[in-house]
Parts: sequence; C-alpha cells; structure tokens
Amino acid sequence: MRRNNWKSKLLAGAMLLFAMALFAADEPELSITLNRLDPPLPAPEFTLNDMDGKPHRLRDYRGKVILINFWATWCPPCRKEMPSLERVYQQFKDRPFMVLALNQWESEDHVFSYMGDLNVFPEFPILFDPESKVSEDYGVRGLPTSFIIDAEGRLIYKAVGGREFDHPDVLALIRELLAPTSKP
Amino acid sequence: MLPAFDYIAAMMRLSGFLLLSLVMASVHAASVVEQKNPDSGLSRWHTEGQEFSLELIQLIPDFVRAVFDSKGLPPEIIDSVSSYCVFGTIVRNRADVPLSYNIADWRYVTADGIEHVGKLKSEWVSEWREMGVAFRWTLLPEAQTWQVGDWGQGFTTVNLPHGTPFDLHYSWTRGDQIHHATIEGLRCAPEQLEK
Repeated sequence: MRRNNWKSKLLAGAMLLFAMALFAADEPELSITLNRLDPPLPAPEFTLNDMDGKPHRLRDYRGKVILINFWATWCPPCRKEMPSLERVYQQFKDRPFMVLALNQWESEDHVFSYMGDLNVFPEFPILFDPESKVSEDYGVRGLPTSFIIDAEGRLIYKAVGGREFDHPDVLALIRELLAPTSKP
Repeated sequence: MLPAFDYIAAMMRLSGFLLLSLVMASVHAASVVEQKNPDSGLSRWHTEGQEFSLELIQLIPDFVRAVFDSKGLPPEIIDSVSSYCVFGTIVRNRADVPLSYNIADWRYVTADGIEHVGKLKSEWVSEWREMGVAFRWTLLPEAQTWQVGDWGQGFTTVNLPHGTPFDLHYSWTRGDQIHHATIEGLRCAPEQLEK
C-alpha cells in the first residue's frame, strides 16, 4: 500500500514536471517596462518569515529602495525572472537597496528544493506568505507581480508579469531612485 | 447565434470601417499559428501581430490534477477543475497604451452554434472559499487592465467535454474602443495523451 502511494506520488510529480514544461515552453519573452504609480501609495506593512524562520518586517528596510516580488515555483514566468532578480540584487547590494521575494502558498521544503535547482542560489531573502494575505493587501491578482518601494516607503513602480530586472532600462529606474537627490 | 458579431460583420460589409469606428468597436480576424507538441501530441495556438496577444495551450486532465494536487488541495477541487476543458492561457499587452480584457465577455462557440461562457476565476475561488480553502492562484484573473508591457499566464476553464472543437470569440478594450477577434478551430485537450 505504502509502495503504491509512493509510486503514485512519483507519477504525479513526473506529470507535474511535464505539465510545467509544456506550459512554459516558448513562453513570451520577459518585459522590460515598469509602470509608474501616480500618485505613489503607501506600501502595506508586513512581517513574514524567511526560510530559516527569521521574521522580516518591511519597516526595518525603511530608507532603502526595495524590489518586492510576489512569486511561486509553479509559475513559469516567476522561474524565468528569478535569476535576473539575483543579478540586480548583486549589482546594488552595497547600496541602500533590497530584494524581497514573497512566495505564495508553498512550503519552505518545497521552495528550498526548487532553489537548489537554480544555477545560483539567491542571496536575497525569500519570505513566505503562506495564506497569501500580504499579496491580498498589495492587490496582487496574478503571479508574478512586482513593486518597487522608494526610500520613503511608497509604492512607486508596478509590474504585472515576468520582467528582466537587470535590463538597462530597469537598472536606470533603480539608479534614479537610489540617487541622493531623488524626488520622485 | 452570435447576434453581436453578426451585427458587426454586417456593418463591416455594408459600411466599412468608417461607420464601424462610429460605434466604437472593431473586429479582427486573428492571425493564428497552431503548433503541435511532437512528444505530447497536444496543440497550442497563438495570435500574431495583435496589440492584445493571446496564447492557448491544451492541458489534459492529468496535467491539471498534478498541478492542483501539488498545492495540497482537496480531491473535490482537483476532480472538479480537471473535469473541465482547461487551457494554459497567456495574455499580453503589446500596445503602447493600457489594454483591458474581461473573460466574462468571451464566448466559446461549439459546432452546434451554442455559445458557452467560461467558468471564471472568481467563481472557482468563491466555491473554494465556501469549502474553507483560501487558495486563489493558478487560474488567470478574469478581468485585468494591463499597463504597457504587462502580461499574465494562468488556466482558463470552460465546461465542455474533453476533445470538443469550438471557436473562441474574444475581446479587449483600448481606451473607449472595444476590439473583437475570433480564433477558429480550437479544441479542448483529449481525455488522455495519444499513444
């Protein structure tokens, strides 16, 4: 009985991989535009745990430009844009800049396993929003959705769908927000 | 069978696009490419050259079950969704202005001329909430306004038997103007992969 259960789980896992590959094949290219929110809105506060169970409060990052990414491992464009999130984090990590990736509805074990399959393990915090309450507060209706929060804690840019976050156009927007005289 | 579309088509024949622009609507014969996956035998269709691009990918019930099972959802939900005709659906704003869509306005027209309305994400989520399940992902949001460059990917569902052929009449809005287009010769995925 237990063996049958194990086999059926293996079969379901293989079917899931096949389905994801089928759904992801020839997916549209990642976009490079971020859309300005006018007027900027206050970013809803949250406290979420990372993979080690350490809590992260949004307010602790006040003063930094924050790229918030709502994602899940089963979402093909989320998987595709993840390496570019790490590249943009590496590019600006010595500046007042942070990337926070808020996983939706998945377990730490599942996400950890997925991260192990990536060429580069992300250094930025992966946070868990297990009941999707934070994504609800941010009005997220589909994955991936990303926001950029300015140093004053305001939502300033939004992107629905996968993005190439280290594209020069996106990097230029982030540099502008990081500039000491930035007054968006 | 499709009064709105027949009306618009008749308007086009009689008066051309000038009059059509007066009613603030336009009809597009979507240029569509069908690709068949050699491994699975399943088809995907995608439009070409439109500001609102649409791609539909056949998904067999076992694929749908696997995706929902991996979320730890109860068997009732998994069985229910996988009994539907499900497509992996990708929509994208390729215009330089915002575009909106509302799947509630789309129609799946079968060979007998009957118009079918898809089951919307909000309807599924509402059913799941009544069952005490807060899950709200995987399905494509039924109505969105895409800013420039925005796009989305998710499942769309319609209550048709597996393998059913149909034409999809869909629409999107640019400013005040509603655009209509049709993809002919779509098919729900078969019950199982061909051997």
